[in-house]
Amino acid sequence: MGRIVFAGAMSHVLDPDYYDHACGQVGRRMVEEIMAEIRRMGDRCVAARPDALVIVADDHLNAFSFNAVPALCVRVGTHVDRMVQEEAEAFDRALEGMPLRYPLHEALAATILERGLQDGFDLAFSWEAPLDHAFLSPANTMYGQRPLPPLVPIWVNCFVAPQPTAARCFALGRHIARAVAASPWNVAIIGTGGLSHFPELSLARVGETDTVFDRKILHWLAEAEYEPLSALTADELHKAGEHELLNWIVVAGAVTPARAELRYFGELPRINLTAVEWALP
Amino acid sequence: MSRYAVNSLLYRLKKDTAYRALFLREPEAALADVDLTDDERAAFLARDARRINELGGFLHLVMSVPGIAAH
Repeated sequence: MGRIVFAGAMSHVLDPDYYDHACGQVGRRMVEEIMAEIRRMGDRCVAARPDALVIVADDHLNAFSFNAVPALCVRVGTHVDRMVQEEAEAFDRALEGMPLRYPLHEALAATILERGLQDGFDLAFSWEAPLDHAFLSPANTMYGQRPLPPLVPIWVNCFVAPQPTAARCFALGRHIARAVAASPWNVAIIGTGGLSHFPELSLARVGETDTVFDRKILHWLAEAEYEPLSALTADELHKAGEHELLNWIVVAGAVTPARAELRYFGELPRINLTAVEWALP
Repeated sequence: MSRYAVNSLLYRLKKDTAYRALFLREPEAALADVDLTDDERAAFLARDARRINELGGFLHLVMSVPGIAAH
């Protein structure tokens, strides 16, 4: 019987140059601090010897465009390429220098997909969507020069309204947990993005965060209070700039009733850089 | 929901290198056949990222289109 052997969540633009540009020296220092914590999380993940790494993250209109915006989507196939953006700007530059191709855990993806269809969880699936920084910046930071385990990328539509509900994201996590339990594999899972930034997705408000809201979420995660977490509305998430929390909520659903331990929280005038790791039985 | 015309144009500007070069060289020609309101067209011609965002342009695209990017 398979089990989840590592679970974490973390900010996903892990690029000192980006935060130096956005916030100056304090930005560079804090992102280097959180990256050091995430590398230690990676050490523990490696020690748990996962057969697969599930990454729950969002698209930034890189993988999917206006031909389809899946609410929830799993990547299938044997391998996945990283996004290549010519003349990359901002967060897209975080991808530069990363390997271009990664193996996928085809069988686990198929299990999540097919079992979901039987159980009322109709995930979209893609053979072609590339991965942007939301997936690869945390994974490569965790693993460094070590080879990544086969990936199972899962997209949550965090940004293009109307989004899936927090409750549905938590239920997706429960579904992933059941699929893993019925499989023979040990699985690591991470959710990426956040915490608060870009309230209302307004360029005029880039630079604002909501530390009170973040502290409330971290308290719920630390106490495994997942009912209020799952009851958050799209409007609340939008106003606080907590869009990407949906990815974290999937992981919470996958490991409930485990509690999350705070690994890093750093307030910047752009985003509150955050990393947590769940204490698994 | 964000306006489709604005966002599909932003997406094309981000992903289509040749089209982006045309836009940066001859913006009026590049936008000639794009279905935009007068406000939207003026915002793109001015490369006014904040205005494009206010008119429904998706924040992450506005922040990452080379030549328009505001971050």
